[in-house]
Amino acid sequence: VSPAADPAVISPQDPTLLIGSSLVATCTVSPDFPLKAEDLYWTLNGRRLPAASYAALGPSTLSVALARLNGSRQQSGDNLVCHSRDGGILAGSCLYVGLPPEKPVNITCWSKNMKDLTCKWAPGTEGETFLHTNYTLKYKRRWYGQDNTCQEYHTAGTYSCHIPKDLALFTPYEIWVEASNRLGVAVSDVVMLDILDVVTTDPPSDVHVSRVGDLEDQLSVRWSSPPALKDFLFQAKYQIQYRVEDSSEWKVGGRRRCRGTARGGRGSGCSHLAPLQVVDDVGNQTSCRLAGLRPGTVYFVQVRCNPFSIYGSKKAGIWSDWSNPTAASTPRSERAAGGCDPKGGEQNTTLRRELKQFFGWVKKHAYGCSNLGIKLYDQWRVWLQKSHKTRNQVGKEP
Amino acid sequence: DSWGIFTFLCAALCNLPALPALNCSEELGAGQSIQQTYDLTRYLEHQLRTLAGTYLNYLGPPFNEPDFNPPRLARAERVPSATVDLDLWRGLTDNARLAANYRAYSRLLCYLRVLDGQVGTAELRHRLAHFCASLQGLVLSIGGVMSSLGYPLPAGPAAPPAPPGAPAAPNDFLKKMDDFWLLKELQTWLWRSAKDFNRLKKKVPPAVVTLRLEARGF
Repeated sequence: VSPAADPAVISPQDPTLLIGSSLVATCTVSPDFPLKAEDLYWTLNGRRLPAASYAALGPSTLSVALARLNGSRQQSGDNLVCHSRDGGILAGSCLYVGLPPEKPVNITCWSKNMKDLTCKWAPGTEGETFLHTNYTLKYKRRWYGQDNTCQEYHTAGTYSCHIPKDLALFTPYEIWVEASNRLGVAVSDVVMLDILDVVTTDPPSDVHVSRVGDLEDQLSVRWSSPPALKDFLFQAKYQIQYRVEDSSEWKVGGRRRCRGTARGGRGSGCSHLAPLQVVDDVGNQTSCRLAGLRPGTVYFVQVRCNPFSIYGSKKAGIWSDWSNPTAASTPRSERAAGGCDPKGGEQNTTLRRELKQFFGWVKKHAYGCSNLGIKLYDQWRVWLQKSHKTRNQVGKEP
Repeated sequence: DSWGIFTFLCAALCNLPALPALNCSEELGAGQSIQQTYDLTRYLEHQLRTLAGTYLNYLGPPFNEPDFNPPRLARAERVPSATVDLDLWRGLTDNARLAANYRAYSRLLCYLRVLDGQVGTAELRHRLAHFCASLQGLVLSIGGVMSSLGYPLPAGPAAPPAPPGAPAAPNDFLKKMDDFWLLKELQTWLWRSAKDFNRLKKKVPPAVVTLRLEARGF
């Protein structure tokens, strides 16, 4: 078998076009093949194109007119195919229809422990370009000519790059991102920064949360400063956030209003606010005490760190990620001292909720018991407590 | 107890390199090796289904249509074809069949790696990389089976960086066709290899079983 010529040739072969443009393509059958123009038809992405758009330009050449092209269905190109009457494929051409890229925007960078630099950005286009777009992050030291190209992409998301080494401190860098596709290139604005301006660290390690003796409303948090602290000349400030187990709302610092569900409605007697105490770095450990917490409750605590006064500069760095949450629970005594808790603890809250649902259902479906309600239950609980008190005052049961 | 001591002694004896009965341990290895290769083949078949689905969608219609059957142009012959006469195939010796598998997958791996370098989306690159790693494992596994059965590995570079004598596709559409056929051939090879290894599994000499019985025969 001689090296066979392709059965047909399409022109243009693999063109790149702007959205909305029109195209006339031709399919010319090779002289070795006994096919005529009238034996051919076209498909685009598997769909047959209407014969009205065809024109025979010669005995073995058929053209097709495509108007106002949409963006390519897939980034590998639209498949325009010339077929023989029986459906066989004679030749194909990949159409790349799209838009040139827009300037990448929102370049943000950070340096972990002053050793490296990671940057991320956003593509300029709101919609798609329909074409595969390459992003290249470049950087150079200001006043020194040579451009460098970042090599490690996608380290912090799709549009990100990591520069692992050879970065100078106390030097302004120019950083920008180039986006390019088949239709053109777009360059972002240049961002200027010094590595020391964007320093962050790993989150604090070894976060331990423990009770403070028997105190029901306090927890003690201890953690280790990130190791980079002793290598580099910066200080660290910390921030703590904590939340109750079943809430999704984090509270930062120590100011927290206590919501009471016991009798009397809103948190009476619970409105004291306990400011967070951040203790200055004591050796390698740092600690802090959370106050104003709910007794008998599980709390999740996280700590993060911000390096500042880096080499003596006045600026703060970038907050680290939060440490993994650490859990601990406050103790609960038998006597709930005027607290915001519902009496008797968790079990009765569940019971009470169920009863409330039950009474709601009763009201709806059993027309007779209009007096039955959750209020009845509450009154009963109050009576129970009163009688419990009197019983205690009298003394132990015989 | 005495039974325990006996079985322990037998186990210890069997591990001494001097004993001729130790030949069985190699065949024991071959049995496991074949099983593992079979399992890996099935796993790759499964992986390929997902990979091919994703890749063909990336190529776009008509490549991802179920009845798509493009012509195999002359140039596509560089991919090792699995479509060989079945009787001819079965008539080969185990050694020849294993060698053919080894060579075919080595070359297929090369082509896939080239693909990996060119393909567009991050998801595809990730899937391809994972598949190539598994396929590399299969090549090594087949090599292991051949060694354990005492067959020499096929000569030549295990994985030449660029497939020899293979011109790059002259246009993007032809390249898409090449990619289609690469995946198709891979599919057929894996399907047939599974059958080959299944058959080979049953052929591994039962001497293994005999030895075990002897060891327990006290």
